[in-house]
Amino acid sequence: MDILTGLMHGFQVATTPLSLGMCMLGVVLGTVIGVLPGLGPPATIAMLLPLTMKLDPTGAMIMLAGIYYGAKYGGSTTSILLNVPGESSSVVTCIDGYQMARKGRAGPALGMAAIASFIAGTFGVVALMLVAPALAQVSLAFSSPEYFALMVMGLAMVVLLAGDSLVKALLSMLVGLWISGIGSDLFTATSRFTFGSVQLLGGIEFILVAIGVFAVGEVLANIEPQDPPKMLPVPKGIRNLLPTWDDMKRCRFAFVNGSVVGFIIGVLPGAGATIASFISYGIEKAVSRHPEEFGKGAIEGVAAPEGSNNAETGGALVPLLTLGIPGSGTTAILLAALTLWGFKPGPLFIHDQPQLFWGLVASMYIGNVVLLILNLPLVALFAQLLRVPAYVLQPLILGVSIVGVYAADASMFQLGLLALFGLVGYAMRKLDFPTAPLVLGLVLGDPMERALRQSLMMSQGHLSILLRPIPATLLVFAALLLAVPLFRKVNAIRVQVLEREEA
Amino acid sequence: MTRTRSTCAAALAALATLVPFASHADWKPTKPVEFIVHTGPGGGNDLLARAVVTMLEQEKLVPVRMQVINKPGGGGAVAAAAVADRKDDPNTVGFITSVWLAGPLTAKEQKITVFDLKPIAQLLREPAVFAVRADSPYKTLKDFVEAAKAHPGQLKQSGGSITSRDNIVREQLEHATGAKWAYVSFPGGGERLAALLGGHVDIMVIEPQEAGENVRAGKLRVLAQVSETRLPKWADIPTLKEAGYDIHPTPQIRGVVGPPEMPAEAVKYWIETFDKLHRSASWKKYVEQNELEDAFVSGDAFRKSMEQTSKELREQFVKAGIKVTR
Repeated sequence: MDILTGLMHGFQVATTPLSLGMCMLGVVLGTVIGVLPGLGPPATIAMLLPLTMKLDPTGAMIMLAGIYYGAKYGGSTTSILLNVPGESSSVVTCIDGYQMARKGRAGPALGMAAIASFIAGTFGVVALMLVAPALAQVSLAFSSPEYFALMVMGLAMVVLLAGDSLVKALLSMLVGLWISGIGSDLFTATSRFTFGSVQLLGGIEFILVAIGVFAVGEVLANIEPQDPPKMLPVPKGIRNLLPTWDDMKRCRFAFVNGSVVGFIIGVLPGAGATIASFISYGIEKAVSRHPEEFGKGAIEGVAAPEGSNNAETGGALVPLLTLGIPGSGTTAILLAALTLWGFKPGPLFIHDQPQLFWGLVASMYIGNVVLLILNLPLVALFAQLLRVPAYVLQPLILGVSIVGVYAADASMFQLGLLALFGLVGYAMRKLDFPTAPLVLGLVLGDPMERALRQSLMMSQGHLSILLRPIPATLLVFAALLLAVPLFRKVNAIRVQVLEREEA
Repeated sequence: MTRTRSTCAAALAALATLVPFASHADWKPTKPVEFIVHTGPGGGNDLLARAVVTMLEQEKLVPVRMQVINKPGGGGAVAAAAVADRKDDPNTVGFITSVWLAGPLTAKEQKITVFDLKPIAQLLREPAVFAVRADSPYKTLKDFVEAAKAHPGQLKQSGGSITSRDNIVREQLEHATGAKWAYVSFPGGGERLAALLGGHVDIMVIEPQEAGENVRAGKLRVLAQVSETRLPKWADIPTLKEAGYDIHPTPQIRGVVGPPEMPAEAVKYWIETFDKLHRSASWKKYVEQNELEDAFVSGDAFRKSMEQTSKELREQFVKAGIKVTR
């Protein structure tokens, strides 16, 4: 009942013309910056922060949150159309989204991204509303050993991202792990693999590597003469622009998976949308009845990660609003904004500021609907990009990649790295090494190493700390994941034998 | 409007050259000013710089547009290099923290240090407090230290990197008492607090503003404050010295510097501007809201204080067994 009155009150706050306007402004702005690679929510919100000082805090918070979740909607656009991830949490969407576009199904891919985002995003808000305070307490049980096991489970997904050769996938992943080790070590402040370069002290950004190996590598591979440039098939008719009923049925599990995984990982301060998207993609492939289609344009491969990165938003607001703990760059700025406006985010925040909390929650319901309505017509518009011939499209991809990387911190060194990783991506394609495991290793390497070393510091060097219930369970899952290809092989042999007996 | 202002400024500047002992600032920025910070958007220094922009606008202290430029990486090294690259640009200001002093001591890649840049002013000192969970058996810092002595290495503290103030305070306290406890590094402040609230560690050095709400909600207890005098909002909490430990950790500071060859009149302008800022009502409110300590020191005195801090940090690193490279 309490929740119901709160929500009623929230909708009163969120449906005032000012709040509605701020919500629209936020989600539109969010979609735009989501579409543009390189410009992400943290930078945008930080730039707008001084302006919000003159606004009503509730309206300002509604707008800033709109940017945060709106960007998650827009992030998939360039991933699907250009193979250039628009946001780090849309990197994994490239794998199947871009393949769908190549097969002329860009429309359904974009449409599915919007629908999955809406479903999971709304789930995230419902969960935020219903279980926030209780869940925040539970999330505190999660610490370094649990994070380590979670990352190991993520890494075990390499078997799912592998192409024909598991060995090549593992090698690719190891290189990713190595790259993640470059930079200044958190625990000892010593430099690792920096070769005396100041720029390498801070490590290598994973989004840069993803753009390099995915987008630039793809462009390089596409301009080879033996592969005559051909136009991508252009979808015709509105029917081909949106996902079909069959697509929706195929994605039933992906919606649930994305919603739940995204929200749970979002609540944990030590993980984030990117890790959530990788894990839900892995789960989707692991349970799929046709895993062989993944990587070749499976629509669930778009729905699961795009859903989970939206459910993550609702999750990430849980520790922020109930404990005052930010889990990412974006939530850190939201925390700073609240402080600047004179609020004190912490355990008593919801109790002290019901208007802001419930207004925000209600505005997120509205914002998600607005985003769905906004994004579906955009599908038709964006899908036209495929009409562009390859000799225009490929330079365009290159241009978007370069601008995206340069926009982040205007550094020529980073552009050099982009070129290097473009070449790495090209070489990997030529040598038939899968690129996704490299990015996976890079995303998970740093948090995994950190979590293990933190665990061992906590336990004075005893590995037994990893046998606590949660990490132990997750590690068993990881082992099961690693065994998946084995089961598949055994099953294939069994089917063969059966068929032979029948024949 | 801007044009009239800038012509005015130019005229003033021309006039000033004719009047050698003008008491007011001889130079004023006519181009947009850039504030370089070493963190990404949302990092501590980024947020401070953006707040300073807002306050300078509110108080109408700078006649041009100001922009924050993020140059993250290498614990301030990339930003320091970016400020140095601006050579004699009077329109660039870098926002520094103690990280800029600690970084070069442990990473020899950092060829440019804060001492290669023009000191403008120290703005803030950041106080901290020792906090435990509210249900923890330690009522005083002494309780904690005694427990650590009784069970060497068993108790845990969460904090930042080992060159951070959190760890230096621990090292000094350990040295002074002979107690030993573990130090677990987390890169984000949120994770450190989550580890404490979740019972994965026993104690934490935390910023008072971050601790405040959790104390009010009955989740945390503050044992002592890491500062020389009691902070107004924590008047009933003893300082380290009052708690029985005569140690004086190097304060954590924030300040502003200019490019290496910033012209003297521009340095003067910025010193005066930040001086006016630190006397303004907006600044006082900001300092109070964020529970910081106003610590304005400018020019040469600022350089001397940084040199002293750097020397102290180096000694503390050596004592703590951290590898120093210069």
